Amino acid sequence: MKRWFNKRSLPDTIITYIVLILVCFIFLFPVLWVIISSFSKSGSIYDYDGFFPNKLSFQSYKTLFCDTKMYDYPNWLKNTLFVAVMSSLIGTVLVILTAYTISRFEFKSRKTLMKTTLILSMFPGFMGITAIHLIMINFNLINRLWSLILIYASGAPMGYLVQKGFFDTIPGTIYEAARIDGASNITVFRKIALPLAKPMIVYTALTQFAWPWSDFMLPSMLLKNKNLWTVAVGLTSLGETEFTRFAAGAVFIAVPIVILYFCLSKFLVMGASSGAVKG
Amino acid sequence: MKREKRSGKQTKTIKKYFTAGLRVKASMLIMGSGQMMQGQWIKGLIYFALLAAYVSFMVLRGGADIKGFFTLGSVKSDPWLGVKGDDSIMLMLKGIITYTITAFFIGFYFSNVRDAYESEERINKDLKLPDFVTSVKRFFDRKFYIAALALPVLGVVVFNIMPIVFMILIAFTNYGGDIVPPELVDWVGLQNFGKLVALSEIKDTFFKILGWDFVWAICATAVNYFGGLGLALLLNKKCVKGKTFWRAFPIIAYAVPGFITLLAFKFMFCYGGPINYYITMGGGKAIGFLDMDAGIKAKLIGLFVNAWISIPTSMLLATGILSNMNEDLYDAAAIDGANAWKQFTKITLPFVIFSTTPVLISTFVGNFNNFGIFYFLRNGLYNDGYFLASDTDLLINWLYNLTYSNNYYAIGAAISLVIFIITSVISLSVYVRSNAYKKEDTYR
Repeated sequence: MKRWFNKRSLPDTIITYIVLILVCFIFLFPVLWVIISSFSKSGSIYDYDGFFPNKLSFQSYKTLFCDTKMYDYPNWLKNTLFVAVMSSLIGTVLVILTAYTISRFEFKSRKTLMKTTLILSMFPGFMGITAIHLIMINFNLINRLWSLILIYASGAPMGYLVQKGFFDTIPGTIYEAARIDGASNITVFRKIALPLAKPMIVYTALTQFAWPWSDFMLPSMLLKNKNLWTVAVGLTSLGETEFTRFAAGAVFIAVPIVILYFCLSKFLVMGASSGAVKG
Repeated sequence: MKREKRSGKQTKTIKKYFTAGLRVKASMLIMGSGQMMQGQWIKGLIYFALLAAYVSFMVLRGGADIKGFFTLGSVKSDPWLGVKGDDSIMLMLKGIITYTITAFFIGFYFSNVRDAYESEERINKDLKLPDFVTSVKRFFDRKFYIAALALPVLGVVVFNIMPIVFMILIAFTNYGGDIVPPELVDWVGLQNFGKLVALSEIKDTFFKILGWDFVWAICATAVNYFGGLGLALLLNKKCVKGKTFWRAFPIIAYAVPGFITLLAFKFMFCYGGPINYYITMGGGKAIGFLDMDAGIKAKLIGLFVNAWISIPTSMLLATGILSNMNEDLYDAAAIDGANAWKQFTKITLPFVIFSTTPVLISTFVGNFNNFGIFYFLRNGLYNDGYFLASDTDLLINWLYNLTYSNNYYAIGAAISLVIFIITSVISLSVYVRSNAYKKEDTYR
């Protein structure tokens, strides 16, 4: 093995690195392009020299936050933050409760519940959104940030599998010991399960935050009033002549979420492979 | 066989309730009365209040709602005569809500009978009945799973199940087009599904889009899957130093919100965008990459953009799986004289495909229903020869065009059911063949 490896290792290494640099460039370039574009002096995409703005300035960030007559970015940001934080808080509570209960207890309707969520997840998500849109119009609940929060939060328990997988790894004997000592189930949950699940709670809260933070479909259907727009809806409404404003707004909303993902990177593999262990 | 056993058990339980004492029977007749006779006043009053609330709801509203659900309204509105007509959709929604409330009520009813029976047994054994506070505490302890799951289940019922039921029902009505309230909507049975396969205009579009949807899902899944696997293998090579650094680039792509990526790519390929800038600089004519007549160009761009967005995810997944692999296998293979390609096809690939089959399926389903790509890249285009759709639209995009943009609700709902049937058949057939299911069988 050694001999074969050495003979070819140098050209092999060089090719590997060339491919690697190429791939990373492909992934980096569009991001870099948007970041550079956000520092353009002119707003329109027609004033660019190809990928590069012809004059650089910080102007666009100033207009983004000060010129709010047509495009009220600070307000969009406020709405997005409100919706994302609230649905993250409520959603996390619901997901953790569901995952813990289904992982820990054997009860009559447990299998039914699990199968129901499996079947529900096979309906195209869009079907539910259209229906919710129709229902909200009929009950006149459109244009309310709270209906958005309730929909995000109550959809969250459907994705309980990652968290259940985590609770499955905690040995049941820990709980049993506490039960024998006379602790009630609520106490066991609060004093034993929750402290153990701290990393999982953080992960859940952050993913529950990231989803509304970058979702477009639901707010675009349920928020017709311009004052209530979220960043996603607002940025989508910008045309080619407002390209710099789009770039600046995009950088501003993408940076926190990218940082967040880097903090989470050790969880990412686990989240991605959650589908592999279910069933 | 298992089920038969269980239903036998259930009839036994019901028989048990019927043969129990008078107070249990009282509870069966009027909720809470048995509990009150047993001296549990607060509990009895709560159950009785539930019954009273449900009955008065049914008398005042629910009964009419259930009737309205079947007729979907009979009075047509007439602005000349000042007649306020029935709103069919509202009637249907109220009907669904009444059914849901009834289902919850039935649940409460059975808990009431069971509670009366259990108290009766305690009385027969000369045990003291717990007071109200104690029994609430005991409920939260012993039936913790009910208390914990109540809110999540309620949320899912209201915001997931009810909308889906509503949409399924819409598929069997003629709601949409010209027939929206104040016009009366009617039940039409399977007519909408008939239209999908028979009505010329819709039929042509439906089969064209269905075919493209499958081609797209297969191509996109293959590109993403093997792209991600290749990238993971590349990063896993022994000669690569600073893996965390290299891995950061795909993770950036993974973390940027999807709508930003898609809009950025749309700007990149638009008429005034950088790509066309270089084409015109080089003396060419600006190309409408994503225009009406873009054809295959738009499809390829869609495939590329989708790969850019999804390859990082499958890379992360493949990395996780590769780290579980047994390195010794490679050493053994190398001693036997297998070259790198052989090692890949005989060891890596079978192992990875084996452990990722479920994910492969969910990726396929995800791509089949990938709404974002062509919505953002080519929003709002309608091509000739298509009924309210463009040549890149997937079924899910067509569904959006039909329902949200053009109010063809019933046809849209029928399409969602078709999508559901396709995705569930694919998922279930693979799930049934998967190891997890077979193993479960051997344990029985």
